[in-house]
Amino acid sequence: MIARRDLIVFLSALSAGAASAAMPVLAAEPSLLTGLDKTAGGRIGQAWLKENPGATAAALTRRLAPKGWSPATLERLRLKVADDFRQGRVFRHRGWRLADTEGALFGLLALTA
Amino acid sequence: MALIDAQALPDASRIEADLIIVGGGLAGITIARQFLGTSVRIAVLEAGGRDIDMDAQEFYVGSATVRAPGNPDRELNNYPVQSRTRVLGGSGMVWGGKCVPLDPSDFAERPWIPHSGWPITRQDLQPYYDRACDLLEIPHFPPNAPPAGPAIDVGPDFFSAPRVFTRYSGGTDEDAFDRFRTEFASAPNVDVYLHANVTRIGLNAAGDRVETLDIACLNGRRHSTAAKSYILATGGIENVRLLLASNDRAPAGVGNGHDLVGRFFQAHVVYAVDGNAETEGSAIQLSPGQPTALYINLKRGGPQSVFAATLEGQKRLNSGNFTCTLYANAGPPAPGGVAEETAAIGALAATLDGKAGQGRGPLVGCFLMAEHFPNPDSRITLRPEKDALGLPHIHMDWTYSAADLDGLEHAVDGLADALGARGKGRLCWPGERSALVAIGNASRHHMGATRMHPDPKRGVVDADSKVHGLANLHIAGSSVFPTSGIANPTLTLLALAIRLADHLKPQLGATR
Repeated sequence: MIARRDLIVFLSALSAGAASAAMPVLAAEPSLLTGLDKTAGGRIGQAWLKENPGATAAALTRRLAPKGWSPATLERLRLKVADDFRQGRVFRHRGWRLADTEGALFGLLALTA
Repeated sequence: MALIDAQALPDASRIEADLIIVGGGLAGITIARQFLGTSVRIAVLEAGGRDIDMDAQEFYVGSATVRAPGNPDRELNNYPVQSRTRVLGGSGMVWGGKCVPLDPSDFAERPWIPHSGWPITRQDLQPYYDRACDLLEIPHFPPNAPPAGPAIDVGPDFFSAPRVFTRYSGGTDEDAFDRFRTEFASAPNVDVYLHANVTRIGLNAAGDRVETLDIACLNGRRHSTAAKSYILATGGIENVRLLLASNDRAPAGVGNGHDLVGRFFQAHVVYAVDGNAETEGSAIQLSPGQPTALYINLKRGGPQSVFAATLEGQKRLNSGNFTCTLYANAGPPAPGGVAEETAAIGALAATLDGKAGQGRGPLVGCFLMAEHFPNPDSRITLRPEKDALGLPHIHMDWTYSAADLDGLEHAVDGLADALGARGKGRLCWPGERSALVAIGNASRHHMGATRMHPDPKRGVVDADSKVHGLANLHIAGSSVFPTSGIANPTLTLLALAIRLADHLKPQLGATR
């Protein structure tokens, strides 16, 4: 199971770019954590989990990063998100149309918070 | 030759001309201007005066009810008065000056939209659009022209549709518009009669020609007319009212042998949701690096673009035309409530869509407009009550079908998918289907109720805007639009007016 800290580091790396993604665990909480506000991102994640009962952190990790969290994961997620929108796999939250993959990322954040 | 107050004419005067235009609004003025310097004698009959006055506006009193399946009815009884202006210059006096051509798709027959299709194409109308643009001193709108600046490419279902503002509107440059609406009246072959309320279209015994018009003034004087040809250009509601009320020869009203006058009324409505601490507003979280200058243009003189559905997109999404207009938010969202969730959505989208170091893209507000499909049950009728001159008040049953609501929802989802799939942004539309009538902000666009169709059983006017079955009566204005698209109708009605003038010139023996 992914630790919340690992997820945060991964998301931080995505935010900071590939070069940073290769860096080891960041000492300070990354900027994306601020952007992904623990409480707010968690609330979105809980909403997604409500529509996807039974989802576990382990299952979501396997879905989102089957080969582990790495810089290559970002490109894979980008393709997944684009494909979700093309296929109509959309998670609606308060009017926002998000890719189901984005919902799952928030869901994972909620489960690991 | 001049602006003439019909109230000052001797009682029972007969106004004679080759062509009489009923209505001194933008359509009527534009037609008259096409005949300047020709041998054709023009008379324009305007019910209002030079200035907006409430006594004249009183003649627009009526009622309106907006309906859609699953929505509570909404009474808009002030709409008939507040959405038009009975004055020389017409609603141009309060127009904001936004100029937009209909898209090529708006003219197309679209099998998934009953009653769609014009008897003319955008290509047919293009030369007249160009001349209307010249009249308003704005750039032309060549079809399929590239955007005027860096655009956001969201794929084949949507394109960046341009809008331009003219200064010739009462809402933009009052002095310029004042010249526009009055200077033409000084031409030697033009007379403009003010305070000339037309109360009846009088047909000949055979019922196939207009023989005269009854004119009533508020001071009690009554006049009549004689002309070779007549054009009704009193606006999208009043055209209907006058046709239906003129029922002495034709009991159902002039041009209404097939019960079409007043039906197919279409309007434009803006849908937006304002956000607060508990509710997200309608918005787009743009991804980093997206160009916004083309879409969020605060200078009314410059081009502005909106996302609009292509014909391909409409077909794929089973929708009509649709636009999404962006605007700068007043400021950052208030702390607390939903703002943090929005920020989290923006941050994740930036990560997924952006390049390293770009940060979040802008969060912009948006409003939506969806085509009102032609619908015979959306109609203008006459009420039993009459105004001071004996003309019945109107009632508007402004009706949407389930297909209208479906079309809006399909298009919203389609745009959200297009933005997301291309990594351009995320769309938030929190509007509820059951609240669309309540939240819709009605524009002053009155279209479709004397629609154009070559078949008299399917339209009130033919492709030349001539009323079916009447040799010498034409209609100008947005009431002839078979479909309404999303475009502000003024530029199109001006193009049609110029086209109509060209059509009539040989019939009227126009020579320079």
